[in-house]
Amino acid sequence: MNWNFEILPDFIFNGLRDGAVYAAAALALVLIFKATTLINFATGELAMLGAFFVYVLNIEQGLWLWLSIAIAMLISAAIGAAVERALVRPFDPADHLPVVLITLGLFLIINAVAGDVWNYQVRRVNDPFGAFPSWVPNGSELKTSSEGTIACLNNADGELVEVAAGTADAQMCEMVGRTFFEVIGARLHYRTIGTWIALALALIALAIILGKTKAGLAFRAVSSNTESARLVGVNTGRTLGFGWALASVFGTLSAALVAPALGGVNPNMMLTILIYALAGAALGGLDSLGGAVIGGLVVGLIKSVLVSWFGVVVLGQAYFSILQLAMAFLLILIVLLFRPAGLFGTRRIERV
Amino acid sequence: MSDDNWPSPMPRPGDDDDPGAEASVFAVFAPPEADEPPETATLPEADEPSETATLGAEPSGGVLGVRRGSPTASGVGTAILSAGGADHLERPRRRIGPLSWIGAVLLGVWLVAMPLTSSVTELRQNTQIIVMVLAVLGVNVATGYGGMISLGHGVFVAVGAFAAAYAVDDLALPWALSILAGTAFAGVIGALVGLPALRIKGIHLALVTLGLAIVFQPLAKRVPAFSGGVSGRAVGAELVPPSWFGTSRWTEGLYHYLICLVVVGLAMWLTHNIINSRPGRAMRAVRDNDTASAVYGVNLVASRVSTFAVSASLAGLAGALGIVLVPFASQESYPFQESLVLYATAVLGGLGSLWGSVLGVAIREVFSRIGELLGDVSGLGPLGEFLRLLDEEQFVFGVLLVALTFVFPRGLIGMFKRRQDDQAPRADRHGARA
Repeated sequence: MNWNFEILPDFIFNGLRDGAVYAAAALALVLIFKATTLINFATGELAMLGAFFVYVLNIEQGLWLWLSIAIAMLISAAIGAAVERALVRPFDPADHLPVVLITLGLFLIINAVAGDVWNYQVRRVNDPFGAFPSWVPNGSELKTSSEGTIACLNNADGELVEVAAGTADAQMCEMVGRTFFEVIGARLHYRTIGTWIALALALIALAIILGKTKAGLAFRAVSSNTESARLVGVNTGRTLGFGWALASVFGTLSAALVAPALGGVNPNMMLTILIYALAGAALGGLDSLGGAVIGGLVVGLIKSVLVSWFGVVVLGQAYFSILQLAMAFLLILIVLLFRPAGLFGTRRIERV
Repeated sequence: MSDDNWPSPMPRPGDDDDPGAEASVFAVFAPPEADEPPETATLPEADEPSETATLGAEPSGGVLGVRRGSPTASGVGTAILSAGGADHLERPRRRIGPLSWIGAVLLGVWLVAMPLTSSVTELRQNTQIIVMVLAVLGVNVATGYGGMISLGHGVFVAVGAFAAAYAVDDLALPWALSILAGTAFAGVIGALVGLPALRIKGIHLALVTLGLAIVFQPLAKRVPAFSGGVSGRAVGAELVPPSWFGTSRWTEGLYHYLICLVVVGLAMWLTHNIINSRPGRAMRAVRDNDTASAVYGVNLVASRVSTFAVSASLAGLAGALGIVLVPFASQESYPFQESLVLYATAVLGGLGSLWGSVLGVAIREVFSRIGELLGDVSGLGPLGEFLRLLDEEQFVFGVLLVALTFVFPRGLIGMFKRRQDDQAPRADRHGARA
């Protein structure tokens, strides 16, 4: 047992960063489930498609990264709404099986098309949160010594190494130095902060859309009771399309945020993330938006702190790192077995 | 399935109105008995009469009432109990439509002509396709007859293959025993997976089984003793035909083909009998309304777990036969997409029908061949780009899935059935409640 508490904050920060990505993906699932009690199994693949749009616009067409992300979100929203209109609306919402099949079919189609167009190599993307903008005070002090070398924190193992000033190594070193703060002895990376801010902004936007706009009101009415909403004149079909569009936006956000951490985009990038997102959504309760966010963050924390820190560092068992996915699966299983409504979901009362 | 075949502990209409727990246990653990003459198994739609019995042989509305989800206990009770009697009424009127005849003849001709006209490699590939029917049938048992969506049957295929490889190589068991061991091991794993299905239903179960399918591959990589790790395990033992059968590669392929054909036929026949036996009726009653069937003495735990075990062992058998054909097993061969494809094939063909599974596999193969042919056409500009996509089996299958969900919501087997299907309420069209 090696209770290495010094590095625990690192794991917590990482866990919460991954958790923010899972939260965004879980929101994509929950937005659809809340309105229709359907699980969109193609969520991950639609999100992957969004990340590829970012790749095409930013890398291939050379657009500004943030503009690319915004356009990719809009395209994804249109695709989400189109899928709802063309493939989901024709079916009876009470009958889940056709829609399960449709989303599974979509899953296979999108995966195959992306594989055909972009093949299965990992393609590097630009990191929206690669290094601090220049106006942010430097994270770690870099001082040139009298011999013309600088002490540089090696990002991989955290050791100080000496590199000659002005070389490529030194530039790299400055870049690395600009990617994190030191907070209570741990590195709070710019990517981590950026992911949190992006998620927070998206959540605020979602809260405003659902709380203050007419479309949001209609969405809440439909998810609360589809029949009654239709009776009072809500156009339920259009509202559900709106829900799918919102969900696709969140999916694309999660994929765009996670792509740099995965080394780039590739057609299978969202597979494991889908599982973590499902675990987060199940934990939070499949029909609770706030629950999805908290669930996603908790799943990220469990994965990082419980499995990686406790299992690998404290217990010293390297095989724990492979149990991350299994942990997510177990979490889904346990939650659905013992508390099907999750932490914040609506309990369903079954009438017999 | 005449009335006389009903063992006494099961309550009959107006017979005994207090079905106790004992009766229910007996009901489910009663050995699967052949309620129908075996030869009917070889006819298309052999499972139709009993299906009709639960579907709509009670025009008075008892059964339909249950299926509409406003159930009364007596409704399902009648459904379970009327199975015998209703079937008795239906039997003389069993018709086999012309389409079914055409299908049966085509299948028969193909089964005879294919080995005679194929090269060794083609014969092997086609035998693999035949074996795949079992895995699809496994999904069909769980989802179509048991009402439990399983998106993870590829896992059981893989487990069956690994267990059989382990038995035949590491334990040096004979092939027959190894195949049985693979089947049984997959069944045990299936029973374990069936346990959560006691509480988790519908789309939530789909979620859990999908999770299982996705988690399996990375986990299997880490158990090299069983799965051969990342690179997989080659199977050393070979199933060599007896010397009188000939020693060429083609006769070996033919030998494997015949063995697989016989095993697949036997497994289908067995499944047919299980489905039409007492546990099978309990299985379908649980699918239609679990609470009501529990009230009528069906042991839900035993029924659900044994349904999942049967369905998983069918998939495991497919995996075990797979390593007879290709002596190599690796987690690479069982990506989780394979599980989705199995589920989708079962639904394509038609849930709740044995021949639907055969049809699903056949249609899938036909379309992927057509896709391959079209994919080879080149030099058509953007149209050619699209045609190139048709080379991807996954794409063709996805499109097929979406298209057929629109056209035949009951699966392709629905084309062959000339029955009062339209009376079946929509929520149950796919066999499972979600």
